[in-house]
Amino acid sequence: MLPNFSYVRPATLAAAIEQLAAAGSRVHAGGTDLLGCLRDEVFGADKLVAIGGLAELKGIAPSADGGLRIGALVTLAEIAASREIASRYPALAQGAAAAASPQLRNQGTLGGNLCQRPRCWYFRGQFHCARKGGEKCFAVEGENQFHCVFGGEVCFIVHPSDTAPALVALDALFRIAGPGGSRLVPAAKFFVLPGVDYTRENVLRPGEILTDVVLPAPPPGARGGYRKVRARGAWDFALGGAAVTAEIAAGQVKQARIVLSGAAPAPWRVPEAERTLVGSPLDAASVARAAEAAVRGAQPLSANAYKVDLLRGVVEEALLALV
Amino acid sequence: MKDPGTTLVEGALPPSAAGAEQPEPWGKTTVVGTRQPRIDGYDRVSGKAVYPSDVILPDMLFGAILRCPHPHATVKKAVTAKAEAMPGVRAVISGASPAADVDWHYDPKLATKLFDPRCRFEGEAVAAVAAETPQQAWDAARAIEVEYEVLPFVADERRALDPAAPRIHDGGNRFDEPDRYRRGDPDAGFAAADKVVELSFHTAAELHTPMELHGCVARWDGARLTLWESTQGVYPVQQRVAATLDLPLSSVRVIGHYMGGGFGSKLQADKYDIVAAVLAKVTARPVKLFLTREETLLCVGNRPPSTMRVRIGAKKDGTLTAVEFTGLGASGAYPAGGAALLDWLARDLYACPNVRCETTDVAINAGPARPFRAPGHPQGAWALEQAIDALAEALAIDPLELRLKNLTTVSQTRPGAPPFTSTGLRRCLVEGAAAFGWAQARGRARSEGVVRRGVGMAAGMWVAGGGGPPSTVVVKLFADGSANLNMGASDIGTGTRTVMAMVVAEELGTPLDRIQVENADTGTTQYATASGGSKTVPTEAPAVRAAALAVKRQLLAIAGDELKLPPSELRIEGDAVVSVRDPKLKRKIAEMQGFRRRGVLVGVGVRGPNPEGKVVNPFAAQFCEVEVNTRTGEVRVLRFLSANESGRVMNRLTYDSQVIGGVTMGIGLALTEERVLDRQTGKMANRNWHDYKIPTALDVPTEIVSLPIDAPDAEANSAGAKGLGEPVTIPTAAAVANAVHDAVGVRVTESPISPMRLLGLLAERRKRG
Repeated sequence: MLPNFSYVRPATLAAAIEQLAAAGSRVHAGGTDLLGCLRDEVFGADKLVAIGGLAELKGIAPSADGGLRIGALVTLAEIAASREIASRYPALAQGAAAAASPQLRNQGTLGGNLCQRPRCWYFRGQFHCARKGGEKCFAVEGENQFHCVFGGEVCFIVHPSDTAPALVALDALFRIAGPGGSRLVPAAKFFVLPGVDYTRENVLRPGEILTDVVLPAPPPGARGGYRKVRARGAWDFALGGAAVTAEIAAGQVKQARIVLSGAAPAPWRVPEAERTLVGSPLDAASVARAAEAAVRGAQPLSANAYKVDLLRGVVEEALLALV
Repeated sequence: MKDPGTTLVEGALPPSAAGAEQPEPWGKTTVVGTRQPRIDGYDRVSGKAVYPSDVILPDMLFGAILRCPHPHATVKKAVTAKAEAMPGVRAVISGASPAADVDWHYDPKLATKLFDPRCRFEGEAVAAVAAETPQQAWDAARAIEVEYEVLPFVADERRALDPAAPRIHDGGNRFDEPDRYRRGDPDAGFAAADKVVELSFHTAAELHTPMELHGCVARWDGARLTLWESTQGVYPVQQRVAATLDLPLSSVRVIGHYMGGGFGSKLQADKYDIVAAVLAKVTARPVKLFLTREETLLCVGNRPPSTMRVRIGAKKDGTLTAVEFTGLGASGAYPAGGAALLDWLARDLYACPNVRCETTDVAINAGPARPFRAPGHPQGAWALEQAIDALAEALAIDPLELRLKNLTTVSQTRPGAPPFTSTGLRRCLVEGAAAFGWAQARGRARSEGVVRRGVGMAAGMWVAGGGGPPSTVVVKLFADGSANLNMGASDIGTGTRTVMAMVVAEELGTPLDRIQVENADTGTTQYATASGGSKTVPTEAPAVRAAALAVKRQLLAIAGDELKLPPSELRIEGDAVVSVRDPKLKRKIAEMQGFRRRGVLVGVGVRGPNPEGKVVNPFAAQFCEVEVNTRTGEVRVLRFLSANESGRVMNRLTYDSQVIGGVTMGIGLALTEERVLDRQTGKMANRNWHDYKIPTALDVPTEIVSLPIDAPDAEANSAGAKGLGEPVTIPTAAAVANAVHDAVGVRVTESPISPMRLLGLLAERRKRG
């Protein structure tokens, strides 16, 4: 059962930010995850600030520098269906299409997908884990087949978003609005690893919301994609995935990005793997080298060593799809 | 020996109905066997059908049960004062409430209370609340302050018999002596074998997740209790509730006109029935108590986890010489058949003179098991049918040929080895293989690429599926020619109402849209056992047929009077009775004066006995093709074919629905479903529909072919039909596992075949070289 809370529907972004200033306030956008978390007592709320009506947060539009601005309220279904995104930013389109189920994609927003709380069953269940203020991460000695192999340190969640790895790979900027005005944060700097702060997954301060995602114009010759492996064909988060982009000129990789999902508490970029590609043609040999480099340094827990093979495999598949 | 096929369903012990007149088998049928949409399909999909969870009564309160959050604990104290004072709360009951001081024995040998201080599984009931709204009830339940003494637990059945494991019951963690079976001389059989294979297996616990949650609405009218219950059997619920509350059976009415699925988990009454009844009693208001999805995953059943070992020996030509099966299953916190029937296929599917089996049921601190679509069989098939596949490989014989080599027409494990009334397994194998293209698929060149294809097959049978007495059915024909069918059986989503209406239509010529079915109400419908064990069609259809024929005899007698012809020279044609000699001599049913005066013709039918000395079981063979990505461990089932011999096909549409549903469920066992109990706390980690992964439309092939071997079984019963719902899911998971093995050469012996497990096995094989 849901807790008691007040519910406000501000008409402007400024009014929403004012409402969010009160402690215990939470943003309600698509609500696909918020309501479940409240019902399951993952966290509480005294006030829900409904932002669904805010025009400022909607729409997909070209930006002045040839890039694209996507409002935080744009649904995953809209992103997946956008011809412009599919042709210019295929990794993002594929990430959005790979998330959840058709019903959830119709309701769930990009902002919500990026800001959703972890799906770790200890965090979501009746376990007083570190991320909820408890003493320990239950995954360390528990049922950790879905947990991370990189960047855990003190809390071994994986970041659940399928769009975040693509946005990191695409060098997106996230616009954040708050009481002090708005700021732009690179996608890669938006997410917070447990070693920095294991009680939150991103840099949003209380009272702040994500309003837009800004994508730079893709370089000429850019290719990209997202490959996701899950335990079930739909309505499931990544066991492992890879968002990749590559800029190819004269048959050689000029620049590449490889960002893993299902691997770490944040979208996990693997620069060493990216570097192995630069200056080489994109072929089976270079892809195999990059895939091997992508999993170097992985530190599996008791039941997730398979993720090393899995991530190597998805990186290979994602890159080979660009050939 | 009591035949296990007749004792699967509570209350199914048949008193003799001998003497009941049973009609001759059907010849050619005109309605039965056709494709008929469900007669209640519109009501179900439009929301017009009132399921128990839709029931709203004036003045109704809502109940909520506070459940133990620990897998093993003792309730020291439950303080309810705060909860009682909360808004809208009308009653709070706990172990200390005199009204709730009720015995609830999970097992006759174990005396436990409704709110027992000893909680042996996470989710055990501790206290309950009735309030004006569900929200108020839940708020109050959570405000009950409970002091627990947390006890050590055991969650893994493989550790339950460890001497150091915590004892769940005073008698230890083994519920009974192991169940041992032997025929012939297994040691000699293995000694005589040219090849012996031995493999170990494990299947994960599966959870029932029917669409409609478990629960009821309880209302007292004076001393009479009415329960609207989502159930597979209104009579078993009535019996248990009446016995528990010490009420005459006549004072307990259970109604379950519609229900949204059960798969075996709704064959029985549950504590929530008693809790709702007590809350309704103390508040003098109706109480609605439906569990949450999380509660149902914890508390109301599962397919128990099992650990199995199979050893099979055979001659070079494939003739089996010995089979040995050892199985361990976990009922959960209370005895619930945790190892029941695990070894049935090992005993009875293939001809083998020398067989030794041993199964053991143990206690773990988890919710008690309940029958789950073919109890024991899919697990047993997972082991036996993979072992047969391994044997075929060792002998270099096609798996199809090896199975065909070892067929039998008698039930070897039953005393006296009685014959089956019909055994369609050979036809299932041969015709299934032909339709699937087995030989071509096996002969295709092996792929050495990243993505590899493979084909697999498995066979199965179901221990029951013949049905039997008792059942009483009433058919009423009204003077306008419309009919009413009154039966106690539940339609658990299989299409029972439609099939039974088709039987009436077959005999009386009544159009389906003029037949009203009233069912599943102990107050107004006749006695029926629960719909389970794949026995509803073979049990009820003959009784319906007998009732319809009793009406027909009366109708022909009336028509005979009016036409001055002997009834033996009359037949029903459309809406009239006509002379078989002269079709011009006819009388419309609606125009028969004699019928008008009678008002209604009533026919009573009872289910006659099954044939003496014979066994009625259905058979199946399934074939599938999979694609395995060796980089990612992903398995895709590309196509599936299920050949089923369940006697007569009654309604091809609902028949195919059962096949598609059963295959889908079997793919869940094969690929995605697994209850996860946290090893540190014993708590269930995946108690929701995201983390407990039942297959979606994307996990099953678009091509699931149903190939009925439509062979009416004239000996079985007067409808010629055998059960279908369970046999369809028995070989499925094993067939998928065999196909995966064919594709990548890795035998996955533990379910489910997830990318996690498969990648681990592929890596091990690489290491071994």
